[in-house]
Amino acid sequence: MKRIKKYKNILVMATLIVFAAACTKSFLNITPPGSLDGPTLATKAGVEGLLIGAYSLLDGVGSNVGGADGPWATAGSNWVYGSVAGGDAHKGSDPGDQNLITPIETWQVNPSNDYLEQVWLVRYDGVQRANEAIRIMRLATDLLPADTVQVTAEAKFLRGHYHFELRKLFGKVPYVDENITYSAGNFLIPNDHDILTDIEADFMYAYNNLPETQTEIGRANKWAAACYLMKTYIFEGKFSDALNLFTTQILPNGKTSSGAKYELNAHFADNFNPGTRNTKESVFAAQMTVNDGASGGNSNQGDGLNFPYGGQTGCCGFFQPSFSLVNSFKVDANGLPFLDGSYNNVNLKSDQGASSNDPYTPDTTTPLDPRLDWTAGRRGIPFLDWGPMAGASWVRNQASAGPYEPVKNMFYASQKNVLTDASGWTAGFTANNVNIIRYADVLLWAAEAEIQAGSLVNAQALINQVRARNVDPTGWVQASPANYKIGLYTAPFASKDAALTALYFERKLELAMEGHRAFDLSRWGIGKQELDPFYAHEVASGYVLDVGATYTTGKNEFLPIPQAEIDKSSKAGTSVLTQNPNY
Amino acid sequence: MLMLAKLTAKRYWLTFSVLLFSFAVFGQRSLTGKVTGSDNQPVFGATVSVKGTNIATTTANDGTFTLNVPGNRNALVITYVGYETTEVSIAGKNSIDVGLKLQTSNLNEVIVTGYTAQRKKEITGSVSVVSVKDMKSIPAGTAEQMLQGQASGVTILTSGNPGDNSNVFIRGVTSLGGSSPLIVVDGVPSAPNDLSLLHDLSANDIESVQVIKDAQAAIYGARGSAGVILITTKKGKSGRAVITYDAFYGEQTVPKGNVWHKANSQQMADLYWLAAKNSGQVILDTTTTGQPCPGCVASAQYGTGLTPRLPDYLVAGESSGVLANDPSVDFSKYNVDYSKGDIYQIVPANKEGTDWFHAMFKRAPIQSHTLTASGGSDKSNYLFSVNYFNQRGILMNTGLKRYSSRMNTTFNIKNNVRVGENLYVFYKENPRITNNVEGNEVNTTAWMQPIIPLYDINGGFAGNRGKELGNSSSPLASRARAANDKGYTWAIQGNAWMEVDLFKHLTLRTSFGGNIDNYAGFWHGYHTYENAENNTNNSFNEYAGHRSNWTWTNTAQYSNTFAKKHGVKLLVGVESADFNQREVGGQKLGYFSDDPNYLNLSNGSATGQSNYSFFNKKTLYSLLARIDYAYADKFFLGLNGRQDKSSVFSEATRTGNFGSVSAGWQISQETFMKGIAWLNSLKLRASYGVLGSISNTTGLNSFTTYGAGIGSTYYGIGGVVNGVSQGFAYTTYGNLSTKWESDVISNVGIDATILQNKLDFSIEYYVKKINGLLFQDQAPGVVGGATQPNVNTGDIKNTGVDFSVAYKGKITKDLSFTLGGNITAYKNTVVKIPGTAGFFVDAFTHNTGPQVRNQAGHPVGSFYGYHIIGIYQSADDVAKSPTETDAAPGRFKYEDTNKDGEITVDDRQFFGNPNPKFTYGINLSFTYKQFDFATTLYGTSGNKVFNYTRYFQDFYPQFQNSKSGALLTESWTPSNLNAKYPIVENASYFSTNGVINDFYMENGSFLRCKQMQIGYNVPSGLLKPINIDRARIYVQAANLFTITKYTGLDPELTTNASSTSSASSFGIDYGNYPPARTFSVGVNVAF
Repeated sequence: MKRIKKYKNILVMATLIVFAAACTKSFLNITPPGSLDGPTLATKAGVEGLLIGAYSLLDGVGSNVGGADGPWATAGSNWVYGSVAGGDAHKGSDPGDQNLITPIETWQVNPSNDYLEQVWLVRYDGVQRANEAIRIMRLATDLLPADTVQVTAEAKFLRGHYHFELRKLFGKVPYVDENITYSAGNFLIPNDHDILTDIEADFMYAYNNLPETQTEIGRANKWAAACYLMKTYIFEGKFSDALNLFTTQILPNGKTSSGAKYELNAHFADNFNPGTRNTKESVFAAQMTVNDGASGGNSNQGDGLNFPYGGQTGCCGFFQPSFSLVNSFKVDANGLPFLDGSYNNVNLKSDQGASSNDPYTPDTTTPLDPRLDWTAGRRGIPFLDWGPMAGASWVRNQASAGPYEPVKNMFYASQKNVLTDASGWTAGFTANNVNIIRYADVLLWAAEAEIQAGSLVNAQALINQVRARNVDPTGWVQASPANYKIGLYTAPFASKDAALTALYFERKLELAMEGHRAFDLSRWGIGKQELDPFYAHEVASGYVLDVGATYTTGKNEFLPIPQAEIDKSSKAGTSVLTQNPNY
Repeated sequence: MLMLAKLTAKRYWLTFSVLLFSFAVFGQRSLTGKVTGSDNQPVFGATVSVKGTNIATTTANDGTFTLNVPGNRNALVITYVGYETTEVSIAGKNSIDVGLKLQTSNLNEVIVTGYTAQRKKEITGSVSVVSVKDMKSIPAGTAEQMLQGQASGVTILTSGNPGDNSNVFIRGVTSLGGSSPLIVVDGVPSAPNDLSLLHDLSANDIESVQVIKDAQAAIYGARGSAGVILITTKKGKSGRAVITYDAFYGEQTVPKGNVWHKANSQQMADLYWLAAKNSGQVILDTTTTGQPCPGCVASAQYGTGLTPRLPDYLVAGESSGVLANDPSVDFSKYNVDYSKGDIYQIVPANKEGTDWFHAMFKRAPIQSHTLTASGGSDKSNYLFSVNYFNQRGILMNTGLKRYSSRMNTTFNIKNNVRVGENLYVFYKENPRITNNVEGNEVNTTAWMQPIIPLYDINGGFAGNRGKELGNSSSPLASRARAANDKGYTWAIQGNAWMEVDLFKHLTLRTSFGGNIDNYAGFWHGYHTYENAENNTNNSFNEYAGHRSNWTWTNTAQYSNTFAKKHGVKLLVGVESADFNQREVGGQKLGYFSDDPNYLNLSNGSATGQSNYSFFNKKTLYSLLARIDYAYADKFFLGLNGRQDKSSVFSEATRTGNFGSVSAGWQISQETFMKGIAWLNSLKLRASYGVLGSISNTTGLNSFTTYGAGIGSTYYGIGGVVNGVSQGFAYTTYGNLSTKWESDVISNVGIDATILQNKLDFSIEYYVKKINGLLFQDQAPGVVGGATQPNVNTGDIKNTGVDFSVAYKGKITKDLSFTLGGNITAYKNTVVKIPGTAGFFVDAFTHNTGPQVRNQAGHPVGSFYGYHIIGIYQSADDVAKSPTETDAAPGRFKYEDTNKDGEITVDDRQFFGNPNPKFTYGINLSFTYKQFDFATTLYGTSGNKVFNYTRYFQDFYPQFQNSKSGALLTESWTPSNLNAKYPIVENASYFSTNGVINDFYMENGSFLRCKQMQIGYNVPSGLLKPINIDRARIYVQAANLFTITKYTGLDPELTTNASSTSSASSFGIDYGNYPPARTFSVGVNVAF
């Protein structure tokens, strides 16, 4: 006993050492901190959460990848790839700011342009988040068969959407279903076919299996799937399928997730007001929230640059409507647009080159489609409730991007900090939903399908339906000095081509600045015909960044596949991805 | 295998513990003696210790000493600076006289190597011994900065940003992730890829620094592949208490002149016109027509017409670029307070131009004071030190202030049991900028237009509010506002240990140590008014966290000499380590007042509040063994082995085995060499081994995980404006097959001492192959957005030569000198990057994409892009050249490397290597009577620098910020064909600065005088009356001069601190805090 006491310290030491050696395995097995594992989520609630996670990328922001160029590169609204690349608007701001957009605007884009890589990453993250909901669902045991069908249908709807986005941007892209995973190592998928077929199957499943209404308004329902399926048919050129779906199903039965029958809003502007969201015209929208603890992360961040410069409105002065777009809203004595291109003969009067201190009176005589001033902010015209647009002092650099400002994504002064996020560096993080499909778009697809089917009369009725709501002066910008006029097409369309010309122009006006134009031009094959004269006109109007711009048919229908993805998809030195033609 | 390893471990511990219980006790006796020097004079202050124990004392003034010696010990070891360490037998003696011999060689110097120590002559691996004296002569805030140029094979990249992390590479970059060496302080290893144990050390506490560069580091297994820096802190010595005071005070100065080569206000206006003209705008006098002219040049600041005019005011309310008589210049409307209504700022134009650089960089003081008390007896010793270090940065509101204290003690409890502790505590505040990132406050001194004044008419900050004033925020406003922010750290580092001697030859040791760093701070986001884009809200952010790491090491060491010739040393050990971090933080907005005294997390508004926390953990468990064998002081053999198990890998791959073998042959000991008079010592040595690295891998690597984030996975599915539903997404993909990186290192070297011990040199050649490099997988985007795990992605090979030399000479009796130098030359090659792409891009900038490509056959960090072969001189030139996007006269003509007549992505090439051909350090010192002189030079040669600051300076379209003045006269115009710069235009193009090209590449070689000092030792005759043992005063200049061709602020560039770059990208100048030239005076006093 005494001997042991004497060597107590040594005994303690030895005991500790032996103890240290004994529990190695538990010492080395660490549960990953701050995270969940797959089995924990394999419950009904967990799978539901994964589905929410898949919805949350509809705004294009919040992915773990793809943020390198800021949310603007990946915005759910496609303002860069649809509107700027289609001639609705110029990049705006200073020439050097976000200068990766300029080559996209002028179709001089090369595969290394990082905007492309970022949007690619975020859209595929959306695809895989949707797939993950299906994968984990299959591990869960507490879902009823009906639940399984619903989860699968919503997930397929979402991955259909994300794939559709990729298809619009890049043409032939890999189609990624739920069997493709990192861990399986089966992710080298060639882009060897047009994935619209696969997308069609996903939307078909969603259409067949989703309920007509949903308890939550942001959820895709059967009719959102029907409309997206119709859009897919339109892109596939399956006009009769599209028309059939529209006339037999959507037209009589289509309703929103909350059960409101699809109709156009009485007022055009209600589609773009964060105070009037999820209307009967909203078929499917990316829901934006503000002041929710995410510091603007769930707001319409992707459009965060697209606000008048200076003052209290927000930031940055991007996305400035083009001279040609504004001119397009000129109408003739009957209130109809100039379909022969003569709208561009003379620019509508603007304050280009004038300071805000110089006196200025806007044009009060030229008849204009009333939708113009809900689309482009012009000097002297009331800009929502911000008072008359002040001109140059609201524009970052008039000399390089023109005198106009975007309106559709704008918020009202009275909504600041309530429907905009109060925590960001800009008030431009708004609760303005991004309309992925609104009913006017559906009606115009239907009109297009009618034309392709030869029923020009039906088409005219549908086009007129979209135009008609704007006849009511209560839907115009109030107290505007402009001479608004809008008429309906009364004379029958002379030919299929004439009808298409009217339809194409109507889409340009109705959906201007909503991220659709470039994809329409690509689909119609009229990119060069429309954009080359457009560039020339803009340069002549003083917009120098379009010098050297030209659209190449057979190439610029799609953006190039990002070089980084081609590089990362190599197997034994050869990439499974093929670059788009002529890039 | 696992089972077997476990069994072995168990058996070993059984033996170990049995051994622990069986030892014997011996008696004691008293011994007296006297120590004399070469001239038979008594030696004062020599250390006399009992061999094999920690029992020691120091000699008195008359050279005498008294010691209690355990009965079983019969040898003394006497050490004194400048004399050879002498061992004498005391068998059967009660008193002894010892005569010391002047030291002529350092072969008996004891060097700390992994888990043990060796005499220099026994070393078989590659170990650089740093001269602590030379190192301490560098006035710097962090210990790693002082190491620059002090050891061959060690590359340090540092900046002037006080207290910032430096990049430390031993034998080149060896990883695409972190390449930091392992730091071991008093036997306690740091966390992987963590320099913090070295970073905050007080230099005066350092006793020795050794760097293991080769396979010998295998004793550190999975943490050894990037080399090991071993630091021993000072211990007290037996004898009377000694008190020393070391201090210096200096002034740091700022580079003079127009460091950014900026244009002045008028030149900026002229450039505007030049760009407008070159971009196709019309330069026309519109006053005559009175009509708007859409294509005419019109500037918000400079007006319109044939020539620009400078405004009197940049902004007045809503108006930009107005003249003095403009009605908007109404001083009564001035307001920069949001609570009082809309902002109405009035900012005068500075027509002469503001010198933003010198407004931000000013002279600043630096000082350090260390007081050390140490002493001891044969039963215990102690060292206590306190240090105060304060460096104000030359950039406004940056600096490093540190208070630290060390307490190291050792107790001899029994004759065979020793316990001790090393404890270091410090507190520091270190306000600093994020160095070398785009848009930091160094960068913005270049960006700010000269026409912008520092302040508006009422003393408010002036910025880019108004038009055409660029996108740069005022560095003055941001640094001035940062004055109220605070971040601080207090940390405890150290260990407690115990050693037990068993029988004659066995020593058991246990050590438990680590560090706890507590860091906390807060920062404010203020309302801003001076910018074009402002914070219209204020915010307050507070955070706190800690890192706590511990390591428990247990070793047993057996050493014996058989038949007087066979020296054997055997060490076995077990080590476990645990690394933790935890942090919490929160933010609130919408404070009623900006008063810093009011702001806390409770007072903010409910809207927009956010908070976060995170934690992580890694563990490591290891078995280690080492055998050293020496034959007749001629042949030496070393074997190291280690088995590491780490929590960062899956159970199947977590075990890694590492080992090395090394051998040395002291040729000069051979009889056939004895006759060579000029050769004092010659040793040949070689080593080979396998090491590992985990520095770049997180604890999540093997797990597939899911997580939630309000902004990333939550969604407003219910359509409510401010309501979100909880959502989830995958966050990491696990990889179960990822395993240890294995690094094979071979080394051969020759050490020689010649010319009557005057010249020492050492030359080494090594090959370092990193196989299965751990780096993040690069699977294509179709896999989704979870973080991809680290996989074993490729191979890198470094080959190189380290050379060091030291010469000691005497010119006259009083004038002696030493000259030391070292050269590090290495060639770095990526051997293989398998994966899918075959390369890995890095150093990403959102404007132009990645600047760096790591690809097989090229050095790590190589710059990659288009090679400019000239500037297009005419439309004809464009037509005749290969097709190039945006080709036009005045723009860059790129090389068509594949000769297909078209400039495409395939024409990009590797155009620059940021790795130097060699780096070198030179230490030169003279001693003349009471005076001494010393200087340290450091240089690099052959490295290329990517001067990214020129992207903003030399190309007009980049945000209308300040430009190089030379653009006006030296850019391409139809009348200036042989231009240095391309045409000045309003937009970027593929053929100007739209893509990465070699326009930015410059020679980064430099030679810097790190320090130069002259000291004076006060004669002891003067000091004795005031009871001072010795005193030295000195004057010093640091960073006295730098010779370089580089056109930026400073060619020494650390890694980009942003998340878009990894450690493999360096030599890129995004805006680098330049080192200050410092003039100081200092004292070293001992009582």
